[in-house]
Amino acid sequence: MLGWTGHILRVNLTTRTHEKESFSEEFATTWVGGRGFAAKILFDELAPGIDPLGPENKLIVALGPISGIPAPNTGKAVVAAKSPLTGFYGDGNLGTRVTEHLRKAGYDALIVEGKAARPTMLYIEDDRVEFLPADEVWGQGTFATNDWIYGKYGKGVGVLNIGQGGENLVRYAVIRSMEGRSGGRPGMGAVMGSKLLKAIVVKGTKPIPQAHPATMKAMGTADLKMVHKMDQDSGWSRQGTTGVLAWCNEVAGLPVQNFRKTSHAESWKIDGERLDAARVATYGCPTCTMRCGIAVLDKEGHESELDYENVGLLGSNLNIFELDQVGSLNYLCDDYGLDTMSAGCTLSFYADAIEHGATAGDFTFGDAERAKQLLGLAARREGTLGNLLADGSLRMARAFGHGSEAYAMQVKGLEVAAYNCKFIPGMALAFGVSPIGAHHREAWIITFEINNTTRDSYGPEKAAKVIELQRIRGGMFESIVACRFPWIELGWSLETYPKYFNLVTGLDWTLDDMWALADRVYALIKLHYIREFPNATRKDDYPPAVWFDPGNADTEGPIADKYLEADKYDQLLQHYYDGRGYDDRGIPTRALLETLGLSREADDAARYATLT
Amino acid sequence: MKVTVKVIGPLIYAAGFSEKQLTLGGPATAGELLARVNVGKNRPTIVTRNGRAVSPLDALEDGDRLVISPIYSGG
Repeated sequence: MLGWTGHILRVNLTTRTHEKESFSEEFATTWVGGRGFAAKILFDELAPGIDPLGPENKLIVALGPISGIPAPNTGKAVVAAKSPLTGFYGDGNLGTRVTEHLRKAGYDALIVEGKAARPTMLYIEDDRVEFLPADEVWGQGTFATNDWIYGKYGKGVGVLNIGQGGENLVRYAVIRSMEGRSGGRPGMGAVMGSKLLKAIVVKGTKPIPQAHPATMKAMGTADLKMVHKMDQDSGWSRQGTTGVLAWCNEVAGLPVQNFRKTSHAESWKIDGERLDAARVATYGCPTCTMRCGIAVLDKEGHESELDYENVGLLGSNLNIFELDQVGSLNYLCDDYGLDTMSAGCTLSFYADAIEHGATAGDFTFGDAERAKQLLGLAARREGTLGNLLADGSLRMARAFGHGSEAYAMQVKGLEVAAYNCKFIPGMALAFGVSPIGAHHREAWIITFEINNTTRDSYGPEKAAKVIELQRIRGGMFESIVACRFPWIELGWSLETYPKYFNLVTGLDWTLDDMWALADRVYALIKLHYIREFPNATRKDDYPPAVWFDPGNADTEGPIADKYLEADKYDQLLQHYYDGRGYDDRGIPTRALLETLGLSREADDAARYATLT
Repeated sequence: MKVTVKVIGPLIYAAGFSEKQLTLGGPATAGELLARVNVGKNRPTIVTRNGRAVSPLDALEDGDRLVISPIYSGG
């Protein structure tokens, strides 16, 4: 077996033991890596109903066969566990040097089990595994922790760490790396914190097994240069993803004031043009030649690395249009190790709930200084309010009552990314049927929707596009594991990825094989869901209720008086289920599961929920 | 007839402006207007008016605001 190292490192923090395990070629070619590996391992090894913040949960770091190979954007890793935010499978990816080092240490994945007796740093150097004390940095933010680790081992090692958010079990705490990279929106940082695991440091020195290393090296090196040239020619990195803000504002898709409004006259103050002008540095992931991290100075003078989601949800969604203040909120989230999207939506929900009388409080939209204090309360779980904020918008809404759940901007507990879908039905569907909650990573169809269809349509063409994009983005890219940006933003050919895959593995896969993998992975994540929520219904795949509310429609602008129509959304959802071969509840049928090679998994899921 | 053109993202650097009001001598289509804005040859773009896509043959009206953007695919 080439391409894969063929080994997984299993570490137990309770017993301070580790084991190097082998996996079969069948496992490799069925699940490939990344999300595929993580979903399969957690399905097999976690009993439904376990406490996601208990020692029985397992944290997975999973890579793919092209991970760590010099080629465009192969420096990502998938982190996964049962989510403390959503209550079922959760994952995310981040750029990190751990990717290359873990592969060179001889592993395609790391499984962390149990709970340490004291704050711990896991150190992996090839076959050596050490459990080192981390008391010195427990209670510190991610920047100080990162510096502490670099001081010990140098900047070249792979590092994953958490801040106070993860330590204090904030349900949307992330895992951080390389000072500017975050991953695991559904609380992967909290899972790490629950295990008293402050950091993972990896150093690997072995070659990665490949079928055709010379050809891969030549192609990968040339492609890195080509992607860089395409980026320079297009100017994409000048604004990176933040260019989207001005466009969303123009087409009435920007989140403003907890998604109550879709554009704002002051949005230009935080748009990509202003970020480019204020830029003090640019950062990116390993093996990336189209770097998207634009750093500006925040109000306190820190470098703060921004992208569109940060600016949209910590800026316009909170009615904060001072770029340095948005930078400050982003910096605090990064240092505490909090997901900027869930943090932004949770704060905006709190302000909205106060405005609507669902709770009493002193936070109003536009108050950046109070927002900073609230992030600190959440990260430290300080007081009743800090604990409420740390649990995310859905749990807050359930605590407040008064119908506030309607404007908690989340699906399945995960807060929505920065696209206001009041009148963007296809993107609303993409959030609704994202397998882990409202993540934009799985399918982003707004430009297709506006450019290639009519905005009013709830037709099958939109459901088909969501499925197509899920296969590409949430399926192939998350499993092989690679960043999607060269393809989506520069037009880099999708065909390149099976070529890389075949060069390293010696196999002969096509994109159709990747789509089959993607469908298998999505179906398995659905089985995770119904094992935890056996009474799942199609309503679970609905976006936030406020988007269906005529009273919430814009009163002026391009979509005045428009809102999502519930009966039509339900038809759109049915088109999606039909396209996927799922039943009326959105659950894969047994026949589909057998076609996907998931008979055993279907039998297991059927112990908890009905399959049709 | 006066129309406003808003340019998005990196297209700004090719066009040399981010927003500009243009005066047109008479009836014009979206395509004719686009020909006057340099956003780079053969570059895929999406052009919208009031939040909806317009085609090159669509007639412009006085006071229109046209938005020219790259085909973003999301963060």
